[in-house]
Amino acid sequence: MSAPLLSVRDLRVDFATEGGLVQAVRGVSFDLAATEVLAIVGESASGKSVTAQTIVGLTRSPNARIEGSARLEGTELLTAGEAELLRVRGARIAMVFQDPMTSFNPVYRVGRQIVEAVRAHRGEVDDRAARELAIEMLEAVEIPEARRRVDSYPHELSGGMRQRAMIAMALALEPEVLIADEPTTALDVTIQAQILELLRRLNRERDLATVLITHDLGVVAEVADRVLVMHEGRVVESGDLDDVFYSPKAPYTRSLLGAVLRLDQPPPQRPARQRAPLLEVTDLVKDFPLRRGALRDRDADRVRAVDRVSLRVESGETLGLVGESGSGKSTLCRTILQLLQPSSGSVRFEGSEIAGLSRRQMQPLRREMQIVFQDPYASLNPRKRIGQIVGEPLRLQGVAAGEERRRQAQELLARVGLSPEHYDRYPHEFSGGQRQRVGIARALALRPKLIVADEPVSALDVSIRAQVLDLLAELQEEMGLSYLFVAHDIGVVRHVSDRIAVMHKGKIVEEGSAEQVCERPLHPYTRSLLAAVPVPDPREARARRAGASPV
Amino acid sequence: MARFALRRLGGMVLVLFAISVIVFAIFAVIPSYDPAAAIAGKNRTPELVANVEETWGFDDPLPVQYLTMMKLVFTGELISYSSELDVSEQIWEGLPATLSLCIGAAVIWMFFGLLLGYLSAVHAGRLADRLLTILSVGGISMPVVLLAPACLYFLAIETDLFPTGGYVPLSEDPLDWAYHLVLPWASLAVLFVGFYSRVLRSNMVEAMEEDYVRTARAKGLSEGQVRVRHVLRNSLIPIVTLFGLDFASVLGGAAIITEAVFNLQGVGQYAADSIANLDLPPIMGVTLFGAFFVVLFNTLVDIAYAYLDPRIRLGESAR
Repeated sequence: MSAPLLSVRDLRVDFATEGGLVQAVRGVSFDLAATEVLAIVGESASGKSVTAQTIVGLTRSPNARIEGSARLEGTELLTAGEAELLRVRGARIAMVFQDPMTSFNPVYRVGRQIVEAVRAHRGEVDDRAARELAIEMLEAVEIPEARRRVDSYPHELSGGMRQRAMIAMALALEPEVLIADEPTTALDVTIQAQILELLRRLNRERDLATVLITHDLGVVAEVADRVLVMHEGRVVESGDLDDVFYSPKAPYTRSLLGAVLRLDQPPPQRPARQRAPLLEVTDLVKDFPLRRGALRDRDADRVRAVDRVSLRVESGETLGLVGESGSGKSTLCRTILQLLQPSSGSVRFEGSEIAGLSRRQMQPLRREMQIVFQDPYASLNPRKRIGQIVGEPLRLQGVAAGEERRRQAQELLARVGLSPEHYDRYPHEFSGGQRQRVGIARALALRPKLIVADEPVSALDVSIRAQVLDLLAELQEEMGLSYLFVAHDIGVVRHVSDRIAVMHKGKIVEEGSAEQVCERPLHPYTRSLLAAVPVPDPREARARRAGASPV
Repeated sequence: MARFALRRLGGMVLVLFAISVIVFAIFAVIPSYDPAAAIAGKNRTPELVANVEETWGFDDPLPVQYLTMMKLVFTGELISYSSELDVSEQIWEGLPATLSLCIGAAVIWMFFGLLLGYLSAVHAGRLADRLLTILSVGGISMPVVLLAPACLYFLAIETDLFPTGGYVPLSEDPLDWAYHLVLPWASLAVLFVGFYSRVLRSNMVEAMEEDYVRTARAKGLSEGQVRVRHVLRNSLIPIVTLFGLDFASVLGGAAIITEAVFNLQGVGQYAADSIANLDLPPIMGVTLFGAFFVVLFNTLVDIAYAYLDPRIRLGESAR
């Protein structure tokens, strides 16, 4: 290997916080060759983003202590002056971040933000020429009608388009290194596949050395040449792609690979049970008025979020509901639970109609059907103790009071793998996985028959995800629960579901047994969804690329 | 846009109507309110009072009286019951002083408020920030009723540094105009300077954590460019709302105390005098004048907002 383009040696980053010293990065070393894609893989708080941002000086602050070395073609960056760093940032090392919505400034046109980057480094380029360059770059990342899109505001572009524009901005100054920090995490799988393809092409055609930071081993297998596995601020494993995937040395790498839910591996056998319909949804419709008319709402101004959906959930089974963002999954859940008023259609629970029931009429039924939300950070009131949160349904439904409520809440905590001593703690004292356990305990408090789980593991790291999924399975077995399990990740859905319904643009386009939907999909949308899922298997990924399946 | 303008215009009419009814109703229920007796003067006889009631229409039913008054408002013929001077003329006469006071104070409070807020945010957590915080909290806690007389006493009466009051028209002598207004401007602006600097500081501190600021840094903008183009620019959006409403309320009457203390003979002082005399027509006139500005600036704020934040489109409900 020739001299590396970027060379990081024994990088250490500590932050002084109110809670004490946080050792975010504890001795990271790696080399990046001029044409390769290096993936840095790790779960949250592994230090992968801090590592990348420190290289270009974005973590510098009075509270940060940075040690070690990061050289770009021999030039030390960690001790470089601010003026020198400014010449590197954007021009020689460009970055792309996770959420293209929040990463663009919402008040400026996309083109202007690209022009700003160009002009920051090349003062001699006038606005007109910079704008032409911006259009050229937008074309290079395959944005259709670039000449028109250059004047769009970020919110006027779709998520995938925004991330392309972000990449265009990063490329405008022809950097030598591109650092992409979870560039596809906020995107749907089909869009993710396109962005990954774009990154691969740019790397090949422009000799753009790329550092790809991700938590998703599927993404790594699709694009990386070499892999660096990080855990708690340290590199636990590094090597060529195939070595890391097929002969991992570090136990952590093995556990990470083991936690992946692969579509092409048969999920655990699910026990057969006596079944009776619990929830039957027929022709359910939910419209939202876009604009209120002066006197009455006009039909033209509404958006149909749920379009004549029919499905059923039987007792003791899990129906997986899969679909991309904006497909109407969450709206469907809320409409089924009567948290939103259905526009038309029928929802029968244990044989009786619940669509259109008043709040008061729904009250006793709320015991039977509970919901677990996606974001365990946002869905627990930060000012309440865990015990209060878990015991609240008991209080609201008048089931138990005083000592009895406390006892039951503690029992529930124990049931979801927390300890009864956690009763008096606050949500911020818990990790994401623990908080999701609290959410599950709260849903279980009233011994419901149906739990609607709306992306319950999407915000969790893979190793934690496996634990939460196991817990859900155990509880189902033990209590005979039924789940309506909603997720955008078809791998997760396959792993937990008896049957799967695929939702697209408000409609259920396909429904069938988990095996049938995943292995013999009938609807073209299901097929494209499955084809877009990155396979955490480098050989398979290469084979798929070579076969160039026309998806 | 046309729809938006039309709806806002309709809203404005409704608001002004409601306010006029409320003002009128308040006077109708004040027990000691007897305009006829006031007009008839000190040496009134019951006959004279009855005569006045007849000619001025005070014996009409209340709705009729209200309509009569509104007609006068719209034709600009409303006259005071106590001085019998034309109300719109009086407001017009007071307007230069009031505008001078309010616009000048607004320029001062925006300039210093934003400057101090910016400096505070840039040095957040450090000594400069703490000193500025103390300063602005001090400013916020300084009511005009205390500050204006204190300024007048210590800086004008005791030390002769500034004139003790009065208004000199700008066209007469610009220097003297400003000299007479320095203390009123300062007294009115101090509270807003403190308040605006706090708001801007917290907006900016929050904006500095935004992803797009990180992007701006990552593309190689200097710290100054990042602060001005991305942090400050986006933090100013909520300030626009505040400013529109505050400026309108100052113009519409919140400057009464300052005007009265420094004897500026503006619209506010006219309002204060009329309230002391329980003189309905000028109060009605000044109230509608103020309400008009509040509603107008509210609309301007919304238009400015849509211009400053492209995600907001006029005429659509926020989603």
